[in-house]
Amino acid sequence: MRAFIKIMTVLLLCSVFFISCKKHKESDYHSVIEKIEAEGKHYKGTSISSEEYIAEKDLIEVTEGDKTFLIPERKKHLTMYECTECHAKPLAEMRDPEVLLPRSHWDIEIVHGDAKTMNCLTCHSGANMNNLHSLTGEAISFNKSYQVCAQCHTSQFKDWKGGAHGKNISGWAPPRAINSCVNCHNPHQPKFNKRWPEVFNVHKELQRK
Amino acid sequence: MNTEKKWFSLNLGRKKESASTCGCGKSGGCGSHEAAPTPEKDGFDQVFDVPMSRRSAFKKLTASLMIGAGAVHSSCSVTAGDETKEKAQIDWEEQFKGNYKLMNDEEKKATVDRLVRSYELRKGDKINMSSKNAEPDVLFGYAFNISKCQGYMNCVSACVEENNQDRNSEMQYIRIHELKDGQGLKFDEADDNYYHEVPAEGHFYLGTQCFHCDNPPCIEVCPVQATWREDDGLVVVDYDWCVGCRYCMAACPYDGRRFNWSTPEVPEEEVNKNQHYLGNRLRKKGVMEKCTFCVQRSRAGKNPACVDACPTGARVFGNLLDPNSTIRWVIENKKVFRLKEDLGTEPKFWYYMD
Amino acid sequence: MATFKVFRSLVKDSFNVITQGSLRYHLWMGALTLVMLIGMYCYSIQLEEGLSVTGMHDRVSWGLYISNFTFLVGVAAAAVMLVMPTYVLKDMDFKQAVLIGEGLAVAALIMCLAFVVADMGGPSVLWHMIPGIGVFNFPNSMLTWDVIVLNGYLFINITVPLYILFRHYQGKEAKKNVYVPGALLSVFWAVGIHLVTAFLYQGLQARPFWNNALLGPRFLASAFAAGPALIIIILAIIRSSTDFKIPDKTIRKISIIVTVAAQINLIMLGSELFKEFYAPTHHSESAYYLFFGLHGKNALVPWIWTSICLNLIATTILTIHIFRRNNILLYFACFILFIAIWVDKGFGLIIPGFIPGPYGKIAEYTPTGIEIAVTLGIWALGAFIFTILAKTAIAIETGRLRYKETAVVKKDHYENTVLDTDKA
Repeated sequence: MRAFIKIMTVLLLCSVFFISCKKHKESDYHSVIEKIEAEGKHYKGTSISSEEYIAEKDLIEVTEGDKTFLIPERKKHLTMYECTECHAKPLAEMRDPEVLLPRSHWDIEIVHGDAKTMNCLTCHSGANMNNLHSLTGEAISFNKSYQVCAQCHTSQFKDWKGGAHGKNISGWAPPRAINSCVNCHNPHQPKFNKRWPEVFNVHKELQRK
Repeated sequence: MNTEKKWFSLNLGRKKESASTCGCGKSGGCGSHEAAPTPEKDGFDQVFDVPMSRRSAFKKLTASLMIGAGAVHSSCSVTAGDETKEKAQIDWEEQFKGNYKLMNDEEKKATVDRLVRSYELRKGDKINMSSKNAEPDVLFGYAFNISKCQGYMNCVSACVEENNQDRNSEMQYIRIHELKDGQGLKFDEADDNYYHEVPAEGHFYLGTQCFHCDNPPCIEVCPVQATWREDDGLVVVDYDWCVGCRYCMAACPYDGRRFNWSTPEVPEEEVNKNQHYLGNRLRKKGVMEKCTFCVQRSRAGKNPACVDACPTGARVFGNLLDPNSTIRWVIENKKVFRLKEDLGTEPKFWYYMD
Repeated sequence: MATFKVFRSLVKDSFNVITQGSLRYHLWMGALTLVMLIGMYCYSIQLEEGLSVTGMHDRVSWGLYISNFTFLVGVAAAAVMLVMPTYVLKDMDFKQAVLIGEGLAVAALIMCLAFVVADMGGPSVLWHMIPGIGVFNFPNSMLTWDVIVLNGYLFINITVPLYILFRHYQGKEAKKNVYVPGALLSVFWAVGIHLVTAFLYQGLQARPFWNNALLGPRFLASAFAAGPALIIIILAIIRSSTDFKIPDKTIRKISIIVTVAAQINLIMLGSELFKEFYAPTHHSESAYYLFFGLHGKNALVPWIWTSICLNLIATTILTIHIFRRNNILLYFACFILFIAIWVDKGFGLIIPGFIPGPYGKIAEYTPTGIEIAVTLGIWALGAFIFTILAKTAIAIETGRLRYKETAVVKKDHYENTVLDTDKA
């Protein structure tokens, strides 16, 4: 009888011990970061690609620093490009009320920086209407307008190049395509607008009553 | 390489993979797994490969029942056409099929074909269902920029539409919490069901969903292995294998799981017909479901619907194993944090700020 | 073959025993059947509509069913408190009570299993859980442990009394070396079912209210108070309504078990309250919700304070010798203790574990009528099973039911005695 009790005790202890040992797979690591480091070391690339999702998109390839990626083509999709089609004369002449010209982007209001920092000519060049220009007067193509933004928004530019800022438009798989600054932000009023949320959950509200 | 055991680990019938494991019960790691390119299935899968064949024996046993039932059925209804019989046949095979996790590719394809056919017979409409497996060298991860999220909730509605969630109970995988500035992550005082113009003054927004933990408590507790972590890191549910005990729901510290309390309903014209077995195929009542990072999209190279719907670019998705991926750049270059890291669940969902 | 014949006769005899009795007995069984039928009807609605007909939702995903399951595991484990002194400590005072206790364990376990099935979203695919045919996630999932221990315990508690009764039915003494190992095993097993059920909750890091080391021990203490308390009440009922002899001494001994367990339970409760409220952390919110309400939500507050008051009164009555020795007071104390622990283990443990949710959101839980009806139906099922088991056991133990070679004689004999006793 004693022996039996002893055996039972041992069995019980074993079973309790058993519970405490969770099964762990061979592929587990101490932390997911370690796992990423270890398994990513010999990354050979995947067969998955997002080529087919960007096929219809009009994209151009840019290289900034050590990163090469795709951004949407801009010039072709600007309604009034080339600008010189209208801006053949100096601005002062075009503004003359006597001259009858179709009105265009007359309603643009700049809500971007303050008047001390920004006016039209901070980005647009009076002399070279078909291009933007940098603070030092260097011409910048409309296709690479991000370079204009990057002059002040350096940290955003860094994040955008890396991937922490900006919206991916291809899919996660390479090649990487990303919206340029102006595809999300209106350069003249870059702040996002307030609006109502897309959904409201009535059910959840009732449940918490 | 560390050969010293740090603590006891129970090796239940698992094959010793190689001598190069560091032996720390939590296993592997320590950069010692370079030599093992093909991950072994764990011991339990191998053990339960046997019951799979036993199950076929079980099937045979019940087959006589089926024949009986079928005979009665067809003798009762004179009009019982081929389609009715086929429907019954499909239903029967679906009822007694195995766990998707343990199926081989052929079996996976067979069940997907049955489900597609079943939908066609019922609704007269074709759906496209995939059974694509995890790709090697892929581990999905997600990052969320709490400075960028404006609380528009486009992600929430896109998710519902993409994943065929129940419209009646307004099931949503994603929650956007409106948190007060200066109070940190005080979730209990946050509002996750706001309806006013956003972004509201003095608030910031943080979205939660299933974090696809690398050490998920939910899959440990499932009594039937109806939920598991795929090799590409997705935590998925086999809706047909789930018994609906909701233990995983109690075990999830992140409110990542949803239960179908009644039969989910999606209006016919709103059904997303691009489906995956483990993802957005139509569910039934009494089973768990959850965010799968849109497995039907992500395994095809697309972003999950929430990422594509986000107008602010606050959501970043990618392959953690690809050193050139944006998700890796975010983790390595931004100040990232995860929720409830102290629980040891290792979520693959990072938050960061500008 | 001979054994089989005896067994068939036993089944037939016991069927006769349980279908006959006084008017009160028939009323009792009829009422139970009615409640069971209502429960089954409500369950059929639940099957049709899904679990949305219950009060459960994504926030509080376990409710009345799992609460009752948890409590009944405790009741089932309580049988051990009677088995141990009888077989291990060789204290024969309990012998009469053991069969009742094990019958109670069987009924409680069947109720447990019924509650688990009622709680399942897909009862039609429960075969996925059968080892061999389905996929049994052992040893990872505590639920699989629970399935094993509950069914194992059910098996032990059916076989041991069945063996004893079977021998007695034939007029023979039960062989000790056959049933004592089984009885001993059930002693350990009972602790096992309790701890495993506690670990079911205790192992969840997501729910700080459950994730504390005291949960298992407190489960044991409260079970060893509530279970024997129920046994005392049942013994009292049996004593007054049948000719089954239960000496006062037996009830006294059981009452001491109840007393000690109730005292330990209170100490542990005190320890828990101290931990939660002396230095409250974020993890104490569930306790705050339970005892005082949180953000204006306080559905459980009246329940838990009622439970604590009843618990204190019962423990006080039991602790004072004069009161405990007074049978009426003892029964009263046992009754309120049983209620107190039912509320404590049911509403006081499972539901606050879910409130507040993982992100601090509070959605309260109120069981619906259908849920309550199914619950009552399962309780009625348990009472029904227990009555059947107890009636057969008593008939055998009192010697009224014996195997006779010629069935005719036996039937007459037994009918007369039954009628006699019922009249008495």
